[in-house]
Amino acid sequence: MKKLFALIMALAMAVSLVACGGGNSTPSGNTSSGDTSNTAAASGDTIRLVNGKIEIDAALKNLAAKYKEETGVTVEIESMGGGVDIQGTLKGYYQAGNMPDIFVNNGTDFDNWTGMLVDMKDQAWVSDTQAAYKDDSGAVIGFPYTTEAIGLAYNASILEAAGVDPATLTSPDAIKAAFETIDSKKADLGLNAVVGYCAEASSLYWSTGNHLFANYIDGGLDREDTTYIDLLSDGGQLDEARMTDFANFVDLLNQYSDPSLLVSGTYDQQILNFSSGKYAFVTQGSWIGATMTSDDADAYAAAGNFKCGMVPYAFQAGQENILTSAPSYWSVFGEGNTEAALAFLDWCATDAGQEILVTEANCISPFESCTFVANDPFAQTISDYISAGKTSNWHWSFMKEGLAQNYTGQVFADFAAGNLDAASFVSTMQQVCAACYNS
Amino acid sequence: MNANTTGKKVMSLALLVVGTVLMVGSLVMDFTGSGSPMRGPMLIIGALGILAGMYFFPTLARHRGIINFIFLFPLLFCFAVTVIIPLVLGIFYSMTDWNGVKMNAFIGLANYMTMFKDPGFLWSILLTFLFVVFNMVLVNVIGFSLALLCTSRLKGIGFFRAAYFLPNLIGGIVLGYVWQFVFNNVLVKITATAFGMQNSILANTPTAFAAIIVVYIWQYAGYIMLIYINGLVTIPGDVLEAAAIDGASPTLTLFQIKIPMIMSTITICTFLTLTSAFKQFDVNMALTNGSGSVANFLGNYLTNGTQMLALNIYNTAISKNSYALGQAKAVLFFIILACISLIQVRISNSKEVEL
Amino acid sequence: MRTKMKTSSFVILMAVGVVVALYTLMPFFLVCINVFKNANGIVANPVGVAGMSIGQLTANISNVVNNSNFNFWYAFGTSALITIISLALLALFGGMAGWVICRNKTKWSTAVYMTFVASMIIPFQVVMLPLISTFRDVGKFVGLSMLQSIPGIVFAYCGFGGAMTVFILTGFVKTIPYALEEAASIDGCSYEGIYFHIIFPLLKPSIVTVTILNGMWIWNDYLLPSLMLGQNGKVKTLPVAVQAFVGSYVKQWDLILTAALLAMIPMIIIFLIAQKQIMNGMVDGAVK
Repeated sequence: MKKLFALIMALAMAVSLVACGGGNSTPSGNTSSGDTSNTAAASGDTIRLVNGKIEIDAALKNLAAKYKEETGVTVEIESMGGGVDIQGTLKGYYQAGNMPDIFVNNGTDFDNWTGMLVDMKDQAWVSDTQAAYKDDSGAVIGFPYTTEAIGLAYNASILEAAGVDPATLTSPDAIKAAFETIDSKKADLGLNAVVGYCAEASSLYWSTGNHLFANYIDGGLDREDTTYIDLLSDGGQLDEARMTDFANFVDLLNQYSDPSLLVSGTYDQQILNFSSGKYAFVTQGSWIGATMTSDDADAYAAAGNFKCGMVPYAFQAGQENILTSAPSYWSVFGEGNTEAALAFLDWCATDAGQEILVTEANCISPFESCTFVANDPFAQTISDYISAGKTSNWHWSFMKEGLAQNYTGQVFADFAAGNLDAASFVSTMQQVCAACYNS
Repeated sequence: MNANTTGKKVMSLALLVVGTVLMVGSLVMDFTGSGSPMRGPMLIIGALGILAGMYFFPTLARHRGIINFIFLFPLLFCFAVTVIIPLVLGIFYSMTDWNGVKMNAFIGLANYMTMFKDPGFLWSILLTFLFVVFNMVLVNVIGFSLALLCTSRLKGIGFFRAAYFLPNLIGGIVLGYVWQFVFNNVLVKITATAFGMQNSILANTPTAFAAIIVVYIWQYAGYIMLIYINGLVTIPGDVLEAAAIDGASPTLTLFQIKIPMIMSTITICTFLTLTSAFKQFDVNMALTNGSGSVANFLGNYLTNGTQMLALNIYNTAISKNSYALGQAKAVLFFIILACISLIQVRISNSKEVEL
Repeated sequence: MRTKMKTSSFVILMAVGVVVALYTLMPFFLVCINVFKNANGIVANPVGVAGMSIGQLTANISNVVNNSNFNFWYAFGTSALITIISLALLALFGGMAGWVICRNKTKWSTAVYMTFVASMIIPFQVVMLPLISTFRDVGKFVGLSMLQSIPGIVFAYCGFGGAMTVFILTGFVKTIPYALEEAASIDGCSYEGIYFHIIFPLLKPSIVTVTILNGMWIWNDYLLPSLMLGQNGKVKTLPVAVQAFVGSYVKQWDLILTAALLAMIPMIIIFLIAQKQIMNGMVDGAVK
């Protein structure tokens, strides 16, 4: 009998395994685990959203809670931050049959999902915004949930104390003069450095390779002007004269940046120091407002909750625009729970959704009917630029995937570390862009 | 006795029939595209039913064979599905334009040509070989020295042994981040105060590479030390005693007696560090993720300065989305490792013949 | 009797031993002091003891444990479940397979054995990409989710760990005298009974060895679960959770180091309890 017992034990183990397996494969309302496309009968009351802005994670969870309260539909928020290769992760999800119902995309990301996204052109919110993402055929495949701006952010109190008028900072010479003025008064102003610029390559490549480089592509141009992105897309070419001016400007940032931040710094360190009033300028866009008023709120309060603004990265004289766009969009996955996902996005564009998105997540609403004002240090400066018509577009999001992470981010880092000078920065940039586009 | 056999026979046949029906049923459901969630469990229960039916089948002559099959089946099945099938598919995919989901065309050796024309990949190969050589030497020398230390007559040997071995317990990802903290925060703080050096050693390719080696030694030397200790304690005490009586100096004892007597251990450790260093992935990923630049390698500026082979394969496939190219690199990786292993087998065998 | 060590060389060796031990333990020490600080305290003063407080430690731990993107207990439980089930199945099936291979000298068993041994040189990288697609296809076909599920990953660990387990256990079965089995057979023990009554109990020491080797590997493994479960999937093991956590919080060292500490503690506790077995097991695995 003992042998039977042993066998039964073995069988029991195997059966329990089967039970686990069976349990996971049945669509039991847990949309994310076993939800391969052929078990499409997923329950209708849960949708999953992959968010690419870690800083609004908490607010989105509140948004989901309110939506659940109103409609009974659960929205699972899964947030991924700056250092994560979001598209890579999403591809992994696709591989594993674990796609979220709504996920974040921008620029070239959409190419990964050709034919897999729901066209939302019939949705009510589309008529309320200019910022929806349309593909070449005119299908609306991206829901804009916020507006962001890329500019050289400044601490208004410090500029005032140093006697610098930000409105005059529209040429490299003016900015250089301002840097010199502030640098000479560094001790009096309590500054660590004039600029908090960080060119670390392994986790902050997106700051340099995407956002700073964006100014080369769009700085000073009209919103529809695609000259430099087209040139880049054509085999990775750069305009040498423009790139040289840009390189000289980056060199200026290298010179006046905090040396303890420049090469080996972190985002947290950069924003904390800016929030604490240790830098007059910081090379990050409007998204840092969220960090300043949440994680770094104590330091920001201690520094007097100073006013913030933005000036253009004017690497050529007369560049008066900052770069604004929806930084990324939410798209609905065609094989997911599309109806519930569309209903959720529609709700997000209404007052109930916008209230949380704007006042809690501090998103700057792209919807014309929205009346809420974000409590964000940069909300005012962005709307000023928008109403003055001084904005350029974000064509950097059409750069080839991986250009910043695998190529240009490292070049900025080498420039910052002094391994390259301005001239070799330009030639190296030309080389890596060509290498990236021709691989 | 007879009734028992009949009972068993009926039970066995019933199980076989039910099992077969369930399996066939679920397979039919699969082929007809039925989305029923029951088909998976049906398939497994069916398979188990067949196995149980075979087990109870009352035959004396075949019983041993049936048990052999049942005993071998589970592991062999897992092994075939996870190793053999993917290996065969992988070698095939490396010659196609496979994108991770489907393949459209057979393109022969084009992926292999592409990868050898990619200076970044050649750099990864070179870097990996450098890494392997450095580690093979350093880990073995340090591991052996620590083993000597731990077999000498010091106080608190047990503590030393445990302390040296401890890093080996921690997963590469976790310790990679811990060391990133040590290099980027602690060490920078120290060098900034002492020499005004504000940049982390991870920001510069040669020093970052050295940092990976340091972490790898830190993690691996304790393990190699244990194996050397195991070798050293097998040296017969009377041999050492005789040497001491003859007045051999400790150095002479070490080189003339200890090392020759543990040659087989040295071979084991050498190949162990060789293959393990070659496959290094976790620390590389967590510590630098391959970043760092090379100013001029074969006339190219490279941005994957500290990216070793395993990480290069991973990034090619996953973050650059070139599955077939990544797979081709992986096949080369496999071939190199297979050659190393063959050399190892040959060396160990020739040693055994000598003894 | 070896020669007595000179006092001077004793002191020098002792000093070397202590310095190396300090070096190997230094990262652990740094983790331990810094989890008592907040993020700014760590950045400002990573080496000293300034800014340490018990309250900060509990705050850090609760921040990490309650962080919905990390989900420590869930990841810990998943890791533990995967490791324990895989180890139990590997020991059970590995012993069975090893015994059958060792006691049946047919060309089939030799072929199976040689395949297992030869497969030990296959690096994970060469099978990882097709593995995922194979598992996805198999999963879609039979309607069981093989990716994103614990049974699926246990299955994979049985496949990958099988070769080494069988290799070590076969080697050990060889040392068990066949006479034992003959005697049991004469006493009326069935063929499969011989394994469960005679062989399996005798295999215990080598099962401890394979369990330690496989356990260290499975518990610490990152690549397989990150590919099979996704880098930030619903089901995640501890190493995957740490990686996802570090990626999502740009560099909050207070939380990262606390997460690292929590991930290390189970291993260190097990090591302190079963130090000797672990060290011997690791050596046996390498030498055999």
